[in-house]
Amino acid sequence: MLIKVDNLKKSFGKRTALNGVSFKVEAGQIYGLLGPNGAGKTTTIKILTGQRRADSGQALLFGEKVFGRQEELLKKVGIVPEDANLYERLTIEQNLTFFKRLYQCSDELIDFYLEKVNLIDEKKTKVKSLSKGMKQKVLLVRALIHKPEILILDEPTSGLDPASADSLHKILLDLKEDGITILLTSHNMEEVDKLCDRVGFLHQGELVASGRPVDLKLNYSDNRVKVLYYSNEAVEENLVKKTLQLDDPETGKFIAELIQNGRIKSIHSLEPTLADIFVKLTGRNLADDGF
Amino acid sequence: MMAFKRILAILIKEAQDIRSNSNLLVMYLMPILFTYIWENFIPDMPAGFGAAFGLIFLVVMVGMYVPSMLIAEEKEKNTIEVLMLSPARPVEIFVGKGLLTFITIIIISLIINIMVGLSFNIQLIIIIATALTSLFAIFVGMIVGMISPNQMSTGVVGLPIYLLLLLIPQLSGIGISGVDFIARFLPTYYYLNILELTLIDRVAISDLYIHFSIIAFSSFVIFALLLYIYRQKGLLD
Repeated sequence: MLIKVDNLKKSFGKRTALNGVSFKVEAGQIYGLLGPNGAGKTTTIKILTGQRRADSGQALLFGEKVFGRQEELLKKVGIVPEDANLYERLTIEQNLTFFKRLYQCSDELIDFYLEKVNLIDEKKTKVKSLSKGMKQKVLLVRALIHKPEILILDEPTSGLDPASADSLHKILLDLKEDGITILLTSHNMEEVDKLCDRVGFLHQGELVASGRPVDLKLNYSDNRVKVLYYSNEAVEENLVKKTLQLDDPETGKFIAELIQNGRIKSIHSLEPTLADIFVKLTGRNLADDGF
Repeated sequence: MMAFKRILAILIKEAQDIRSNSNLLVMYLMPILFTYIWENFIPDMPAGFGAAFGLIFLVVMVGMYVPSMLIAEEKEKNTIEVLMLSPARPVEIFVGKGLLTFITIIIISLIINIMVGLSFNIQLIIIIATALTSLFAIFVGMIVGMISPNQMSTGVVGLPIYLLLLLIPQLSGIGISGVDFIARFLPTYYYLNILELTLIDRVAISDLYIHFSIIAFSSFVIFALLLYIYRQKGLLD
C-alpha cells in the first residue's frame, strides 16, 4: 500500500473541508479523486504532501506519516500542484536543471522525459513562450526527474485543450506501465474513466463512493437496454428504437420474441457514466462550485 | 543541516533569472549611476558625497528591494509551492536568495569604490560596513517579501520602511530634533556615519567599532524577527 488515507478530517473555521475521508492506493495503480471545486481534493493532496496538518485521521505515504517527515518521504514522490508554475524567464532546460540540482539527481532523465513528451527540441526555449499544454508537460517532467515511486497530480489537465489533455493521458498511462503509482484529482469524469484503476467521489468533504469504474457503473446501473428492431418487415423504414427495463418480466419475453422472428437489429446496455453516478449520489453536477 | 549544493542551486537559478529581470537590473544600475552623476556632474559636491549616496542607496534599496521581490514573485507566480515540496529547506531558500543579493551588493560597492578612486584601507572599511548593513537590509527585505502576497504589494509594504531607512539618516543633523532622535535607532544612520567618517574625515577602523557593533546588533535583532515571522506565517500563505 503506497498511499493510505484513513478517516481524514480537516476544518477551516466553521467550514468542514474533509469529513472522514478514507482511501488506499496500491502500488502501480492510478487512483482518481473526483469532485467539483471545493469538494476537498486539494486539501487531501496538501495533507498528503505535508503542506497542511489534518485535524484528525492519518495520511500515509509508504506507510509513514508525512507531516514532519516531508524531506525524507517527498524525495520519492513527484508532485504537480494545481496552481504550480515554472520560472518563466528561464528555459525549459534551466528550470529542470534547477530541480535536478535540488534533488541532487543525474541529468539522464531530463532528456529521457523531454523526449517522451516531445519537448526535447524545445529545451532551450524560454518557458514564457510555451503554450499551457507544453508547460503542463514540463511540470510533469519536473515531477519525474528524480525517479519518484509515487506521482501526485492535482487537476493535471485543467484548462488544457483536448489534444494536449489526450497527449498527457497517454504519458500518464505510459508511466503506469513503468510501475509508477499515480494519484490524481480531477473534475473531468471522462479523463478519470479513461485513466484510473480506482476512483473515489468526493463531495463536500466526504467520500461518497469509491471503487473500480466498471464496478461503480454496474452497481449504479439502472438496468436498462436500448433495442433497435424492425416493427414489421426487415426494411429501414420499419426500424424502431426502444429503451427497456431489464427487471421488467415482459422485457425478456419481448426480446426473445424479437430474436425468434429475426427482427432485432441491435441491443445496447445503457450503463451510466461516472458523471451520471456522481449526480445520482450527490444530486449535483461536477461543474458546480463546491461551496 | 543546510546543504551547500542546494543553496548553490538556488543561487545559480536566481543569477540566471535576474539576467532577464529588467526591474531588478535597473535597481542594480541606479547606485552606480547616482554615484557617477553626483561625483562628476554636480558642482561643489564635497569629496566622497557621491559615493556615500550611491552606497547607502545600494544597501537600502537593492538590499531590501531585491530579496523582497524575489520572495514575493515566487508567491505571486506559484513557484514557491513546488520549491517547498522539493528537498530545499526554507532556510536554504532564504540563504540562496539572500546570498545573491549579498554578493551583488559587495560587487557593486567595489565598483563604486573603484569609480571614486578610494585607497585600499578605506575600501576595506567600506566593504565591511556595507556587508554588515546589507545583512540587515536583506533580512528586512525578506520580511517584506514574506508579508507581501505579490510583487506589487512589496512596494506598499516596503516603501515606508525603505524611505525611513534611506532618508532619515540623510536628514539627521539639519536641526530637526525628532529626525535626530529616530535616526539613532536606525543602523543605516550608523552606516552613513561610517561612510562620512571614512570618505570625508578619513578616520581609522579602530574609531568605528561602536558603529560596527550597533549595525551587527541590529542585524541580529532583525534576523530574530525574520525567524519569528517565518514561524508565524511561513513562506506559503
